[in-house]
Amino acid sequence: MSNVDRREFLKLVGAGGVGVGAGFMLAESAKHPLEHLIPYAVPPEEFSSGVATWYNSVCGMCPAGCGISVRTREGRAKKIEGNPSHPVSQGRLCALGQAGLQVLYNPDRLSSPLLLDGASGSFRPATWVEGVDKVAGALSSARNVVVLSRGIRGHLAQIFERFAGSLSSANLLQYDFAHEDALYVGNRESFGIDRLPYYDIANTRYLVSFGADYLNGWISPVHHSLGFGTSRQGGHDRGYFVQVEPRMSVSGASADRWVPANPGTEGLLALGIAQQIVAMGGYSGADRDAWTSTLAPYDIASVSQRTGVNDDIVRQIAEGFMHTRPGLAITGGAATRHVNGVNTAIAVNTLNYIAGNVGIEGGILFNPAAPLATTGEENRGAYESLANLVTHAENGSIDALLVYDTDPVFTMPADSGFREALEKIPFVASLSSFMDETTAMADVVLPSHTYLESWGDDVPEPGVGFSVGAVSQPVVAPLYNTQAVGDTLIAIAAHMGHSDAIPWASTEECIKDGWRQVHAQGGSGDFDAFWRSLLQAGVYGRNIRDTRAVSLDPTVVAGMDANEPTFSGNAATYPFTLHPYTSMRMHDGRGANLPWMLELPDAMTSVVYSSWVEINPVTAEELGVRQGDVVEISSEHGSVTAPVYVYPAIMPDVVAMPVGQGHSKLGRYAKNRGSNPLSIVAAQTDAKSGSLAWAATRVSVAPTGQRAKLVTMSGESRELGRNIVQTTGGAAGSAGHSAKLNSIPIKVEAV
Amino acid sequence: MVLVALAGMVVGYWANAAFFPGTSPQQPIDFSHKVHAGDNEIPCQYCHVQARRSVSAGVPSVNKCMGCHLEVATDRPQVRLLTNYWESGEPVPWIKVHDLPDFVHFTHKRHVAAGIECQTCHGAVESMDVVSREAPVKMGLCLACHRENEVEHGTDCWTCHK
Amino acid sequence: MSFLDRFIDGWRRYRRPGYYEKFDYAWTMSIDLDRCTGCQACVTACQAENNTPIVGEKELAKGREMQWIRIERYWEGEYPNAKLKFIPMLCQQCDAAPCETVCPVSATYHNQDGLNAQVYNRCIGTRSCAVYCPYEVRYFNYNNHHWDSPLEQQLNPDVTVREKGVMEKCTFCVQRIRQAKDHAKDDGRRRVKDGEVQPACVQTCPSEALAFGDRNDPGSKVSQKLSDPRAYHVLDELNTLPSVVYLKKVDADAG
Repeated sequence: MSNVDRREFLKLVGAGGVGVGAGFMLAESAKHPLEHLIPYAVPPEEFSSGVATWYNSVCGMCPAGCGISVRTREGRAKKIEGNPSHPVSQGRLCALGQAGLQVLYNPDRLSSPLLLDGASGSFRPATWVEGVDKVAGALSSARNVVVLSRGIRGHLAQIFERFAGSLSSANLLQYDFAHEDALYVGNRESFGIDRLPYYDIANTRYLVSFGADYLNGWISPVHHSLGFGTSRQGGHDRGYFVQVEPRMSVSGASADRWVPANPGTEGLLALGIAQQIVAMGGYSGADRDAWTSTLAPYDIASVSQRTGVNDDIVRQIAEGFMHTRPGLAITGGAATRHVNGVNTAIAVNTLNYIAGNVGIEGGILFNPAAPLATTGEENRGAYESLANLVTHAENGSIDALLVYDTDPVFTMPADSGFREALEKIPFVASLSSFMDETTAMADVVLPSHTYLESWGDDVPEPGVGFSVGAVSQPVVAPLYNTQAVGDTLIAIAAHMGHSDAIPWASTEECIKDGWRQVHAQGGSGDFDAFWRSLLQAGVYGRNIRDTRAVSLDPTVVAGMDANEPTFSGNAATYPFTLHPYTSMRMHDGRGANLPWMLELPDAMTSVVYSSWVEINPVTAEELGVRQGDVVEISSEHGSVTAPVYVYPAIMPDVVAMPVGQGHSKLGRYAKNRGSNPLSIVAAQTDAKSGSLAWAATRVSVAPTGQRAKLVTMSGESRELGRNIVQTTGGAAGSAGHSAKLNSIPIKVEAV
Repeated sequence: MVLVALAGMVVGYWANAAFFPGTSPQQPIDFSHKVHAGDNEIPCQYCHVQARRSVSAGVPSVNKCMGCHLEVATDRPQVRLLTNYWESGEPVPWIKVHDLPDFVHFTHKRHVAAGIECQTCHGAVESMDVVSREAPVKMGLCLACHRENEVEHGTDCWTCHK
Repeated sequence: MSFLDRFIDGWRRYRRPGYYEKFDYAWTMSIDLDRCTGCQACVTACQAENNTPIVGEKELAKGREMQWIRIERYWEGEYPNAKLKFIPMLCQQCDAAPCETVCPVSATYHNQDGLNAQVYNRCIGTRSCAVYCPYEVRYFNYNNHHWDSPLEQQLNPDVTVREKGVMEKCTFCVQRIRQAKDHAKDDGRRRVKDGEVQPACVQTCPSEALAFGDRNDPGSKVSQKLSDPRAYHVLDELNTLPSVVYLKKVDADAG
């Protein structure tokens, strides 16, 4: 630059200036490329550009079955809210339900059929004709076929049933990791009733939850939250909430009292409370003496010693539960995922029965039959049925597997051998919408529409105390070259020459046909008008209630085996109990590919994106680990690593890990992030229900010497005297509006 | 130096205007507003039917155009182009002439309801063969009108920006 | 009146407590901490409604989160008596907002509805407002954000997608307020009815902890909440006159 004189320098600067100016303007104009106004060739009837259209449907993000209203603009789904007329959600919706939009618009959705190319071992896009041909061909020559899906509810289940029936030998199997098998078996053994009852949290005044995180993902979180809010400040006296669990959950944080109890002893504590109530004269049934002797082994001293709960606390809860009416006890989550899961469920039923909470408002109410001909719950299989599938597959007696929207390779423990068994099955076809761990092992993928693009109907489970059914309808046109799962099954059956097996031309026809029967039973007017109003409402109810009187025989409890839980791994080598827990955010892992859910801080720890292991502060000190230190958590069946989160509300001999992360597949957002605690749990079951005892594994924790950046969204975790969250004494409950569940603005037809 | 930079801006602006036409772009069909709205006196909202009930005025669907053009002037070359779109079931990819920045949320409905003439912002479209952006649709125009008509809170920023 | 006189007069009026009674509406949110479960449905509702971006793990690690409403968590006590308390935190729409006084370009100001407005196209990104905000509820766009296609199809067309270099924050879903006013006008009403407009967070709250309305209307649901003995303002001592009112959490065992 030394030979550039001043004049030339200015010239250069000038030229540069011109360049910068021109460049700036060009860049600015490039930011605003030509915008088009593209009208429809023929607009749909209800279309109005710039005007939002709302559709009622049913949420497909978890099995609760909340009614949703979806806002669409120019044919695109913009927002999901709860359907105000639907008795489960009443206009509200959880975070995961709202993130359904990111399932629909997920960049990693499968957009066309895929065939596994034998030579390269990778998938290649194919046409539907090719895909259906391949599957139909494989199924025609197969002797034993298994159709494995998530829980399918409503009339769609009939297509699955008829499809399986059309094959020479096919097993239908529905598996959801989070399904509460133990509660179903417990209810059957206690009351002879197969469905879940309605837990009337809204009207209860004293709730004891034994491990059920009812506000954060447990079976019907939105409805439970509505009930919680109403019970807290919606009536004249404020409900009191007790939470019994080894690690404080979201419901524990919201409870008035959090009671840590040894893992797996929740049922013991329930019986201890029941024993106290009987002893205090709180039970006056004719079989009082029988109960007194049945519950005698659960005296306060022994229960206190076995559960680790101070006897004063047991007594206080017993008194509160006996005197504050109506009361309600619930259980679920990790508490029923021990080898004594069903016993825990029966124990909690017993407590409700002894305290007089069965069949009353504010207690548990039984659900009447659904208005639909089928609920679809009939083919539900527990973990054990998948374990059987593994055995059969290893024997080579399964020729083909059709899997839809369930991911056992991720949710089953490595110890179960599911992955290896899947490799032994000669032909696997997946109908899932995403490349999850199970779909990745398929030979053919015939991707299905998401729930926002499909027809369906639903019976919410648990119900709401009266007879309810709901319809889901497509809210947007299909984005990709996918098909409704029912239509795919119809196409496969037709290709195999079984077109008479499934009498409907499409899923929509099947759903509509089902509702024709509902209409015939009591609908008014002509069917088309009924159907139209049904779709507009999104929900249909009948004022039918199940008021049968039930009794619980003391022999059910007397006949229970020892209630003590057993664990995999000896206490000397594996000193900690692993407490995996599910959350609304990730559910069983399905939230892990949704950016909103990854960025949503964990409710308790505020960690985003990754997974972690929660350790009591005292234990952490003993282990010599700090927040963010990576530790190895090992069981007899494997190990995972995770950064430590020092958690103030967990028992010292328990370590907790969130379920949902640790995917190796499922798209760019989910894969290779965090770790999956389910991969190291022992494949042991609760013998009575056959469900996986995923909370009954012992582990050791060893520092690895590494540190990880644990991204948390909270700043200072203590208030430091700033008095930000203010509290007031117990008497200050205020009168608010009282929303009784009977007055839901739903179309209720008297029968 | 500042002057030179300013000159650069001017050149850039010229380049922008010359190479990125936006004010009167070449449309896929040489549609004439003069023929329709001017000579034949078709009311604006006969085709831009959304204007009175939506934020956007909307452009007519091909279906709507064909409502007349199945019968009217079917032999004109430009109408043939339209018929081609119709027969192939394709929409016409019109190019936006009046395009506001994304941070401006204008609503046609409110303005139509208030009796504002379309021409106030769009110019005398009925006399244009090729529509171009004639009225200076800038914030000054909006504010002047809001002030003059004493629109309730018409100068609150959040009336248009949100 | 000279410009200066008008300015000083306006300033005095603006600073006078209770001046909001002259507002057209005084939009207010009440948050019942005894009902709040910390479930964060409000957070996702807000993200979906207001086009707040996905910022990614790296940016979050730098503290550059963009969620307009968040749940703060405060631990109290030690095991086994540890407690966790939740509090939703969002722009308090202060009537005496510290952020408004500091903006050099008046990109943030108070409007006739008692709302603390942020105008993206006016903002020059000094970030002063965020520094002045005691509730830390203003978020700066350090980057242009990207939606992996087709996630952008979800974006709400009624809300601007913000660019790099501007500040943003909760608007009480002003687009919904505008729409409700629009509907009222269509029906020939001068005012929006109570309950007709709800921000996304309030709309979705599963435990009905959040309520929203006009505190100038004595019959509104939110006015009733204001008269609750449990009502308080967070950091009341700063005298920012927030439009978000919290109802104290009840400690049932405290007697």
